[in-house]
Amino acid sequence: MSSVVISGDTSGSISLTVPSVAGTNTATLPSATGTVMVSGNMPAFSYHSIANQNPTSAVVTKVIFGQQDFDTANSVSSSRFTPQVAGYYQMTASVAMAADTSLTGSDIYFFKNGTNLSSIPAFNVTGLATSGYYTQTVTALIYMNGSTDYLEVYATATGTGTLRYFFSSTANHPTVFQGVLVRSA
Amino acid sequence: MNIVEKIMALYPSLTQQDFLTVITLQNNSDGKGDYIAKWEHPTLPKPTEQQLAEIK
Repeated sequence: MSSVVISGDTSGSISLTVPSVAGTNTATLPSATGTVMVSGNMPAFSYHSIANQNPTSAVVTKVIFGQQDFDTANSVSSSRFTPQVAGYYQMTASVAMAADTSLTGSDIYFFKNGTNLSSIPAFNVTGLATSGYYTQTVTALIYMNGSTDYLEVYATATGTGTLRYFFSSTANHPTVFQGVLVRSA
Repeated sequence: MNIVEKIMALYPSLTQQDFLTVITLQNNSDGKGDYIAKWEHPTLPKPTEQQLAEIK
């Protein structure tokens, strides 16, 4: 295996390595200025809920995701995503909710830095009339500054009887929080 | 009695729509419970903590 090693001015180095397999391949760098994204600086995570929550009807409540599936950059703590790489992140969250008597409304939001920003998609449903489970999903492309910006998932269940944000012990986790960097800043 | 029921007891004219638009109740799942995060009702004043506490 052959490598080209570029040493830093004061310390560190980067190695460009060619695999020792037959054939000729070409990797072309674009004629643009920016940070090269490799797996090591592209955070990706997936968490899911492992316990029911019992929110108060009509109260916008932070959703807790207690179990990590993967978190390549350890960027999630206490159900809060705080990436340390600036860029645009594709985010997805879903919350399964239910009411013992009747679920009449359901909302889901991404809160950026503690605030429900109008520039970030959210979904609101009214006029429901169900005692079964209802799953809300939201997806959004969100810029994060790579230092202080953080993102959380909030939801609202409106209805009567005991309300729940639901988790499942099966593999088909219905209440999840996922994200991945798709473009650096 | 939860915070919505207390507010509704204080202001029976409020509707579910009010809680989707001019009033936001929030819980940060940090153990501090439900609270009024936004109150922009055009005519009704925001309830005080004391008013809510007195409703049993």
